[in-house]
Amino acid sequence: MSFAASTGAEQRSMIDVHHLAGRIMVYLLAFTAASVMGFPLVWMLICSFKPPAELIMSPPTFLPHEWTLANYRDLFVQTRFMSYFANSLIVASGSTAFSLVIGGLGAYSVSRFNIRATRLFSRFSLIAYMLPEVLLVIPLYFFLVKAGLADTLLALIIANTAFTLPLTIWFMRAYFAAIPVTLEESAMIDGCTRLQALWKVVVPLAVPGLISVGVFAFNSAWNDFLFALVFTSSERNKTLPLGLSTWIGQDYIYSWGMLLAAAVLITLPVLAFYLLVQRKLIAGLAEGGVKGG
Amino acid sequence: MASEPSVRRGDILLAYATLSPAAALLILLAAVPSVFVVMIAFQHIEIGELSGRFVGFQNFLWVLNSREFYAGLWNSFVWVFGSVALEMLIGTALALLLNRAFALRGVARAFVLAPYLIPTVVAVLTWRFMFHDLVGIVNFLLIDSGLTDSPVLWLSDRRYAMLAVIIVGVWKFLPFVVIAILGILQSIPNEQYEAAQIDGASGWQQFWRITLPYILPVFVLTALLRTIWSFNKFDIIFLLTGGGPLNSTTTIPLLIYQKAFDDFDMSRAAAIAVVAFLVMGVLMTFYLLAMKRSEQNQ
Repeated sequence: MSFAASTGAEQRSMIDVHHLAGRIMVYLLAFTAASVMGFPLVWMLICSFKPPAELIMSPPTFLPHEWTLANYRDLFVQTRFMSYFANSLIVASGSTAFSLVIGGLGAYSVSRFNIRATRLFSRFSLIAYMLPEVLLVIPLYFFLVKAGLADTLLALIIANTAFTLPLTIWFMRAYFAAIPVTLEESAMIDGCTRLQALWKVVVPLAVPGLISVGVFAFNSAWNDFLFALVFTSSERNKTLPLGLSTWIGQDYIYSWGMLLAAAVLITLPVLAFYLLVQRKLIAGLAEGGVKGG
Repeated sequence: MASEPSVRRGDILLAYATLSPAAALLILLAAVPSVFVVMIAFQHIEIGELSGRFVGFQNFLWVLNSREFYAGLWNSFVWVFGSVALEMLIGTALALLLNRAFALRGVARAFVLAPYLIPTVVAVLTWRFMFHDLVGIVNFLLIDSGLTDSPVLWLSDRRYAMLAVIIVGVWKFLPFVVIAILGILQSIPNEQYEAAQIDGASGWQQFWRITLPYILPVFVLTALLRTIWSFNKFDIIFLLTGGGPLNSTTTIPLLIYQKAFDDFDMSRAAAIAVVAFLVMGVLMTFYLLAMKRSEQNQ
């Protein structure tokens, strides 16, 4: 063996140097990755506090010379931001609730009853998951117009539910499958009906899974742009992404400051939601992922 | 007690009752529309009508003979493979890095994952601000560091628009790859590495012999999902460039949208959608075969 030539002490110090270089490398890479990935968001936050004139200065200032909340104030005074925000909240909460209840029940059925209908359904929902939004949006637009639902928030709730349902079903199916059937059986021996067993035994155990899939459903509806773009025509029913997108490209009418302030405010609920459920989310994802794989 | 309650044998009624709302919704909002799209692809539809006269393969012939379609397909190809390749490469590298133990790892993870959580419109807004020709920080840094003399017109020069779109896409979606690969990395039993160390395997050998085979199935699955989602992606490109300049970033979904809602030519839009879906199907089969092979190799 080659280390026969060197003494033990020499070898140990060489390993230490090698080890130290490795550690420094890890920190350097981690710092670079975090700053590159995080920079745009930090930049958005910092710039939202700059006065409008400072935002179009060249060269740009890093930290604001003068911190101001003017952009935020203008946003609330000069635009319909609050209305967009409320609409987005209604659409995202509505479709998340629908998706969890309808998708949760469907997933329960698929996980517990091995009949032809559930097998067929489970395969179909996977295909539905792969359909592009832009393909669905053409016929849905026709149907909504005929049904008199064009330009309503209900139309957006329905469309977003349809879009998140396959994910809910696939994820919750794996989650329910991991909950032992014997738990329900013993509840039923103790006198529960089937539905009571579902409600009192299965649902409480599935809460982490429901939370994580709920976060995804909420996030997806909160982000939705295409459905809102095609189905909404009046200013009154615009959601945040659609409302903001109409300001983009009109650099001269609305200042960058207001757009950045709006961007910060849209991000907050999503981040708050995420931080609130982070632990359960990761636990839910890990279980659903491992057991579903 | 007459008979032991068995959940699996259980009431068919409940099975159908719990299944039917989801089934009804998916049939109504996914199956029926899909069939409808295929149907109108074979018709000539006037504005505002639900159906029109049957024209056979005429719309498909138009698609296969139109330069727009092939230009869109090429743009989709560049967008999908450019962004997915970079996401997989950088995402896996970052997952390997963030899987190591170091101080403040939680903070580093949060920064790396954040772009995935923010709404697309926020990502687009921020990057449009950063890509601004005159006051954007990107051009400032490029000029300041001497990499270029004059500002790069990121979103309005057809040579750079696709690159800009890919940069934003990779930034926004590579955290998904990081999350997926981190998950599988954490499930590798530590004993395997310990045994390899006792046998004197180097870091590289451990990576090639243990880590890589272990993560490969998840890697392929993640690449498959990212490919499908990127191919279908509409909003990020539409909001960044609107498909321009000069259609240089018009991918297939944007082309479908333009045909359907700018030109109001639903039939041709539907025909493009059907052809694109078939292309996608071929791609998916290719991936699934690769996935099967990687599983057999394990």
